[in-house]
Amino acid sequence: MAGTSMKDIKLRIKSVESTMQITKAMQLVATSKLRRAKERMEMSRPYADIARQAIISASISCDDPTVPYLIKQTDKKSCYIIIAGERGLAGGYNNNLFKAQLAHAEGKEYCALPIGRKAIEKYTRLGVQLLSDAYHGVEDLNVSRCRKIAGMLLDEFRKGTYGDLYLVYTSFKTMMSQEPEIIQLLPVLPEDGMKKEKNVSTVYDPDIKEMLEAVMQDYLAGTLYSALCNSFLSEVASRRSAMDSATKNAGDMISELKLRFNRARQGAITQEITEIVAGAEQ
Amino acid sequence: MANTFHLQIVTPDRPIYDGQAEKVILRTLTGDVCILDKHIDYAAPLGIGEARVTDANGKTRAAACNGGLVSVESGKVRVLATTFEWADEIDVERANRTMEATQEKLKHTRHDDVEYAVLEAKLKRALLRIHVVE
Repeated sequence: MAGTSMKDIKLRIKSVESTMQITKAMQLVATSKLRRAKERMEMSRPYADIARQAIISASISCDDPTVPYLIKQTDKKSCYIIIAGERGLAGGYNNNLFKAQLAHAEGKEYCALPIGRKAIEKYTRLGVQLLSDAYHGVEDLNVSRCRKIAGMLLDEFRKGTYGDLYLVYTSFKTMMSQEPEIIQLLPVLPEDGMKKEKNVSTVYDPDIKEMLEAVMQDYLAGTLYSALCNSFLSEVASRRSAMDSATKNAGDMISELKLRFNRARQGAITQEITEIVAGAEQ
Repeated sequence: MANTFHLQIVTPDRPIYDGQAEKVILRTLTGDVCILDKHIDYAAPLGIGEARVTDANGKTRAAACNGGLVSVESGKVRVLATTFEWADEIDVERANRTMEATQEKLKHTRHDDVEYAVLEAKLKRALLRIHVVE
């Protein structure tokens, strides 16, 4: 843009400045949401961890073939719960998640329960069968709504709509790194590295089958809620760092444009003086 | 002083209790259980009922506990409750209001309606809250 006029540069500076104002505001909003989201995530973690442990250790000790939650059904399709964001402008947050899910589901027939507006849009566009497209927001989903979702998922499972259930969410590692993760919710299988021997001495009251039946919904709801908190925190953190670098880039751009503007002004003044002097000499 | 064990009570949105306790009484689906130190490994689903926790200092607190699971594993007791409110945190007025409103609604709902069971559970929870405070 060597030959750009002063007016053009001025207009560009203005436009970059207003973009910077927006990114700066978004960064501030994300920062202020961050603390609450972090608290919520930390509060939700113990329940999810303990529930998962309890369910898995019960499932190891259970050898009743009539409990549907423990058996792999290969003839049915899979189901994915996909938790993405409500909005974009959060770096690679949404895209990384979708990429991970699509790689995991490659070659499989599956239906999806997208949570978050971005996920709903994406999977509608892909033409995947959706169990529901009612969950636009991530931030406002509370425990009792998670219970409803869990109840709905279990109903569909009992009806035979799907045979295995995966949860795709973004796990918050640090402020700078968040990674998409996929965990298998149904059927309940022990994770790698967990001890697999049966705990024969445990007493189940009234029996293990009824216990699993009674706590299945709690387990799904708790895990889902904790994953939602994790995802939301990741989204906010990811947006904050994306907006932080966007604001920095805008600042750099403005100072470069200002330099160019000053050069152009200097050039214009020099030219005018030269013309006047040339005129006076004649 | 009685022997104590490690007790952890958690709900989906926050941990409630994490520390030593002497005794805990809970309502499971089959009835009330009292868990003391050196209990065998045990797991049971919880119903809607009053819970009593005696901490390491011998102080007993009552709470309204609703749904979930209790598990004992190598001496550690974990209570996963859907909701768990200490007696002093309960809003009695709200519970009273809920009780009256659900009782009124129940009169107009048929027994075989899906809604009936939901309302019944809601009424049970309200009555429990009132009971725990009293």
